[in-house]
Amino acid sequence: MKLQGSRMWLCPRTRLPVGASALGFLILCWLYVFPGYRLPGHKEMVREVLRFGPGWRKNRTEMDSFRKLLQDCCDPPHLFSLTKVNTPLGENLWFDGEFFHSLTIDNSTRSLFPQDTPFKLPLKRCSVVGNGGILKNSRCGEQIDEADFVMRCNLPPLSREYTEDVGTRTQLVTVNPSIIDKRYQNLLWSRKSFVENLRVYQQSYVYMPAFSTKRGTDPSLRVYYTLADFGTNQTVLFANPNFLRNVGKFWKSRGIHSKRLSTGLFMVSAALSLCEEVTIYGFWPFQMDLGGRYISHHYYDNTLPLSGVHAMPEEFLQLWLLHKSGVLQMQLDQCKKDVSSQKPH
Amino acid sequence: MGYADPSGGRDLLGNRTLLFIFICAFALVTLLQQILYGRNYIKRGLQFSWQNGEELGNWTGIFNFTDDGAVKTGSDAGGRYFEFYEGPLDFNSTKCLELRRDITNVKVLSMVKESDLFDRWKSLQVCKWEMNVTEANAFKSALTRCCNAPSFLFTTQKNTPLGTKLRYEVDTSGIFPISSEIFNIFPKDMPYYRSQFKKCAVVGNGGILKDSKCGKDIDSTDFVFRCNLPPITPKYVEDVGMKTDVVTINPSIITERFNKLEKWRRPFYEVLQGYENASLLLPAFYNTRNTDVSIRVKYVLDDFESQQAVYYFHPQYLINVSRFWLMQGVHAKRISSGLILVTAALELCEEVHLYGFWGFPMDPSGNFITHHYYDNVKPRPGFHAMPSEIFNFIHMHSKGILRVHTGTC
Repeated sequence: MKLQGSRMWLCPRTRLPVGASALGFLILCWLYVFPGYRLPGHKEMVREVLRFGPGWRKNRTEMDSFRKLLQDCCDPPHLFSLTKVNTPLGENLWFDGEFFHSLTIDNSTRSLFPQDTPFKLPLKRCSVVGNGGILKNSRCGEQIDEADFVMRCNLPPLSREYTEDVGTRTQLVTVNPSIIDKRYQNLLWSRKSFVENLRVYQQSYVYMPAFSTKRGTDPSLRVYYTLADFGTNQTVLFANPNFLRNVGKFWKSRGIHSKRLSTGLFMVSAALSLCEEVTIYGFWPFQMDLGGRYISHHYYDNTLPLSGVHAMPEEFLQLWLLHKSGVLQMQLDQCKKDVSSQKPH
Repeated sequence: MGYADPSGGRDLLGNRTLLFIFICAFALVTLLQQILYGRNYIKRGLQFSWQNGEELGNWTGIFNFTDDGAVKTGSDAGGRYFEFYEGPLDFNSTKCLELRRDITNVKVLSMVKESDLFDRWKSLQVCKWEMNVTEANAFKSALTRCCNAPSFLFTTQKNTPLGTKLRYEVDTSGIFPISSEIFNIFPKDMPYYRSQFKKCAVVGNGGILKDSKCGKDIDSTDFVFRCNLPPITPKYVEDVGMKTDVVTINPSIITERFNKLEKWRRPFYEVLQGYENASLLLPAFYNTRNTDVSIRVKYVLDDFESQQAVYYFHPQYLINVSRFWLMQGVHAKRISSGLILVTAALELCEEVHLYGFWGFPMDPSGNFITHHYYDNVKPRPGFHAMPSEIFNFIHMHSKGILRVHTGTC
């Protein structure tokens, strides 16, 4: 009797349950790859944007309710970055980009954190600048600089040739550890070029997801040491993995299926909670702009990202819905009409 | 059911077995002491205290083992041998010749008791030192044949062309190809030539330098070598001086004290600033672990726009030097960086003075000294053969090739 029972468990007498579960698994995979709903394509999106037109009006009730949602899920004002207040000594910090990896906060790590979130909250008007190719020839620089708080992603170049399109001021710039690895050899050798390149951002905060991936921790900490060594006036903030994880969950529940959210969406989520008014620039994941002209992937180059990490169109759709409901303003066309570059239709 | 017989396990470390192990361990330690320190190791401690007690006539001799005692007992150096000679004697006087022969007659360190050697060394201090040009030249030409520091001390663009596959000193299977990036770090040619400097000082870090007041003497020489980033803060300036022209850095120091330069770099840079314009000398190609750290030093200095030069020992030079000293009887896993510097200095300078080279736990008068003049951290045992190196220096001193300073200046 007992023997038979154990045998049952090892190899079931009927094949049906195995086959059924395999079939179910396959169906689930299928649904994951080809979901039942369909994302709007590029053309539909353009039509939608043109139909909506420039008549954006802010909707205070929607704004407040969305801020409340974000506050409940992620609490950005307190958890945006790692601080001495929200990270007690000895806390086990679980990495949000790893499956099972954590780091215990010791005194030497904790001493790198600021006492509390260093912004003066709430911020008034914020610009979140993505790096999309749509920014090229947009002439939005002035409008971006007008905001009180400008957030940029992944160390974008701000050289003279882009000033007119992307502006000059920066209050917060994110740095992906992979950039440190690729462009600056993990800061193991010469560090001067890094410091020189960062001088463009003047007195900004450098926001690093140090505790998201195993490989990113050391380079990110090295950014801190480098800036401290050279005594620059930038301050390094470390992203709070709990915040990132919660924001990821929040958007997942709203239908963004990707391995990881893009930095831009993290920034927009933070900005929506930290700022009173948010305008976003350079968020456009398609290869053609509204007028049907081909654009590059970034406003400064055309290196495509790894496929399958980010789901940009899905993210864009969500942001567009927020734009439509009046929570944030999305700048897609040119800020100042440029006569020479416009094509007659 | 599942229990094992408890007595079975206990018998393994029973009382009798433990006792046997202890006896064996004791015998082993005693045997090792005999082998390492010679036959008279155990007797010597007794002898010392007995002697001191006799001299002072009571038992306060114990207190003589403090640092202050060094000056007191040093003044009547050589009392056992010469009571009548006051003041210095000529180096080539008959008495001094005899004293020098006393030392050169000791062919191997283990031939005599350490205390005996100390006594002979102490009594030699009454003699003024003078360079013996023929001996010195013979030695220097031997060095030229083996090592040739003026062209092979550092890796330069001349002796290490682009694309060379540099072989490490220790990890002989390891090969480091010289890429153009590394090649550009190297100096064009050796910055020093043969007998460039009249009088050089090589400053070791031995505890014997403490309270020696040799700072002025060291600073007055033309060229000063120092080892392993020693502190030359105001606290020590009186004893060790300020002037530094070349300072070696052991990569292990960078690894331990400065986190391999992967974290903060300014503390390291600030330490280097203390040496003003000294060139840094690193054994980058000693083994594979040292290379990255050593090359990083160059980048750090470039980043901070420092004018200090960084040089790397040529691995072949290190191999040749250690072979040379092996023939002279220095059996060590690795020769100390002090010995390498002395070897280089002998070729680069006419007259070489050694300060702070005394690798014994007590000074020539028998007072215990700290390991370094700045701390008392003992090195890994069995790595360097300090006594044997110092013994060689004493020999060379008696022959008139270089001068070893062990007393106060």
